[in-house]
Amino acid sequence: MTLVHELRSALPDVAVRDPSELGGPIWPGMTPEFVASPSSTEDVSRLLVWAAQEDLGVLAVASGSHADPVSDGRFVALDTSLLSGIEEYEPADLTITAGAGTRFATVDDALRENGQWAPFDPPAARDRSMGGLVSEAAHGSLWAGYGALKNHVLGATVVTGDGRVLRLGGKVVKNVAGYDLLRSVVGGRGRLCVLTSVCLRAFPLPPQERVLMISAASVAELIDSALAVGTAPVLPVSIVVAGPLEALDGRAALVVRLHGAESTVDADQAILETHVGTSFDRLTEASDGAARILSQLQDLGAVEDRCVEVSVLPSQLSGVVSAAADVGLGPMVVDSYAGRIRIGGSDLGVDPVGTLREAAEQAGGALRIVRWGRADFPTGTPQSMATAMLSERLESIFDPGGVLWPARS
Amino acid sequence: MATPRELTISSVMTQTLTPTIADRLRAIVGQNHVITHPDRLVAYESDGLTAYRVVPRAVVLPETTEQVSRVLAVLHGEGIDVVPRGAGTGLSGGALPTPDGVIVGTARMNRILSIDEQDRLATAQPGVINARLTEATAPYGLYYAPDPSSQSACTLGGNVAENSGGPHCLKYGVTSRYVTGLTVVLADGEVVRFGGAGTEAVPSLDLVGLFIGSEGCFGIATEIEVRLLPAPEGVRTLLGIFDTMEAAGRAVTDIMASGLMPAAVEIVDHATIVAVEASVFAAGYPIDAGAALVIEFDGTEAGLDDDADRAEQCCVAADAREVRRATSEEERLGLWKGRKKAFGAMGRIAPDLLVQDATVPRTRLPEVLARITEIGQEYDLKIANVFHAGDGNLHPNILFDRQNADELDRVEKASREIMSLCVSVGGTITGEHGVGVDKRGYMPLVHNEVELEMLRRARWVFDPNGNLNPGKVLP
Repeated sequence: MTLVHELRSALPDVAVRDPSELGGPIWPGMTPEFVASPSSTEDVSRLLVWAAQEDLGVLAVASGSHADPVSDGRFVALDTSLLSGIEEYEPADLTITAGAGTRFATVDDALRENGQWAPFDPPAARDRSMGGLVSEAAHGSLWAGYGALKNHVLGATVVTGDGRVLRLGGKVVKNVAGYDLLRSVVGGRGRLCVLTSVCLRAFPLPPQERVLMISAASVAELIDSALAVGTAPVLPVSIVVAGPLEALDGRAALVVRLHGAESTVDADQAILETHVGTSFDRLTEASDGAARILSQLQDLGAVEDRCVEVSVLPSQLSGVVSAAADVGLGPMVVDSYAGRIRIGGSDLGVDPVGTLREAAEQAGGALRIVRWGRADFPTGTPQSMATAMLSERLESIFDPGGVLWPARS
Repeated sequence: MATPRELTISSVMTQTLTPTIADRLRAIVGQNHVITHPDRLVAYESDGLTAYRVVPRAVVLPETTEQVSRVLAVLHGEGIDVVPRGAGTGLSGGALPTPDGVIVGTARMNRILSIDEQDRLATAQPGVINARLTEATAPYGLYYAPDPSSQSACTLGGNVAENSGGPHCLKYGVTSRYVTGLTVVLADGEVVRFGGAGTEAVPSLDLVGLFIGSEGCFGIATEIEVRLLPAPEGVRTLLGIFDTMEAAGRAVTDIMASGLMPAAVEIVDHATIVAVEASVFAAGYPIDAGAALVIEFDGTEAGLDDDADRAEQCCVAADAREVRRATSEEERLGLWKGRKKAFGAMGRIAPDLLVQDATVPRTRLPEVLARITEIGQEYDLKIANVFHAGDGNLHPNILFDRQNADELDRVEKASREIMSLCVSVGGTITGEHGVGVDKRGYMPLVHNEVELEMLRRARWVFDPNGNLNPGKVLP
């Protein structure tokens, strides 16, 4: 009896597909034994228990846009797309709960119908699944104003590697009833558990968004202005430098976003311009296609075959951006308030990335590989021995049998 | 769950520390910084939850990370339990001593180590008082956002241990949003570094986030790196007076649905108003009012009047009897007085006060408050409510006399009913005070046995022997 038949016999409610039906390999060089699509938390639990018995690894995927296995061995792809749909939404409570396989677009549309939103804007967000976003702790340029994704995840239902179902967090904004295991799951990249449901905090849509811009020939030329914005007496919700941008004929741009009432954003713009000592262009949808520029900012470099991310203190950004430019790395997006640089491209080389990592680490920062093919895989900054040991212990309590596939190095 | 009667000074025999161990500790922290005299130890017998009292075996007051490491190594080697303690303002008994344990206090670790104006970061020792950090960063136009009500006394280390909130966390979030890195001493004395601004790309699990709120069970944070915010240019404060709590609740719902983002939305109920107005903290709230609602906006000066106008319209639409607006800092403090001095005012009515803490979905507040009133009547207890209405965080305050055994019994029963009520509507047993010893018995209300076992294992990850703050959090 083949594995597929065994699974169908053991778990008749779990849909099973051959990987060839997916229309090509999702993971470079890696092919799962089959793709299983459970439609309930209970079936996820049963599938994990079954996989452990069969000595199979399990890799949870939804949109598949960020899965990137790095180890060899037999594994099953656990497709979460059937764990889909909004489970609970009470607009007056500003909370929404959805299945982990729910596309963010579904959640976003539901919120916006009620004048609300979830203020994080990672690359290609609308096409990605809730579980994938949370698993990656994916973030975008709204970090300055609204904080990291981890601040918006109020609760989750997860299944551990050995099939235990845990409800972590809750559905209220403030909750300190026990150790906050949810924090280690957000950004855990599937190392600890499989997410089956996620509860997010929603926010009222801002009454106004003002998008301000300065353009220049290169990203490096705009870093000082961006840092000046970041030390102004008012804090924009987003401060990003990116380039080259197609929408600007290959030039780079510093884009600043302000949220608030009309009078507030008027005043904030004046304060920023005084503080930075220059005037910004005010982008409007009608004349400048502001949405197109923001969309390019959100995705630039992130949807390429190869993508790396650097973190440093904002005060160290200039040196690291220069180092990247010196070795020809780009295009890049710089969140100057968070101190993060994203660089993507199909032609990123191992050596230039190594040089960038060295520059980042010398500046007290770090580099991680967001996505890369399996061949000539560069290495990112490792964690310390002490945190690695604690992380391993943590993994051992969530996944004592080592069933969950390490989706990333 | 241990009851207050079980954990009292009279019923628990405290072991003394052997001279040899005390001398080894004194050699690390200095002769005067190991307390073993019974008269001085009594000062550490409880934290802000005075219903529980246990005299510790000794108190050790280190000054540096290295001293904490060496102290914990000695105690770990001797198999002695350690109870970390900041200012002792916690309200869940998280710093309650164990009879055979030693308190490691952070009172001498009170230095701000650095302020980085460019990167808007500060690093401080755990014994730094919350409000002092904002005072120190004010000259740079910056401040530290989390503002627990006890911020003039509570410490950053305690804030990290409890993941503290405060009135203004409605807009700004709680402690975990602001802590970017920690230096932590584990139970065996090992010093580890979690996170750190600029190192987010290191592919580690979020150990900073996991450590925050661990109530002293995972380690002792000895250096805390936090993100600072630009101080808001202006502030507007309103006080809405309502005939009923239900009307005040409607105003809150309308304000939050309108797209406004207040910095704080706080309510005090009729019983609290009466208590405040009868005290030296009288704030001029009408004593026949059903509820008083404090709303505050901060940010760029130019937009604040618009925000305040819109909030006032929401109050009027919800049948507010009166809406006052502060026109000076003095008036602002006056409007806040009834909220901020509520606990002090209640302390003058009864010898003991149990400040409860729970969170419910905001839309369930009216029914939960009505039921809490009924519970008070059923158990013949005075319960006054003060709460962070914007995020559904309730603080039912139960007034009692712990010398009255019958009343104490009724307090325990009423507390359990209130907790069960909050959980039954989708809430939880604590929003910002932590579990400590007070709420261990309620943990099964929100976690099943599989989840509780997972929490026990999480504790093992950091402290395999379970010597750090035993008897806390887990039932």
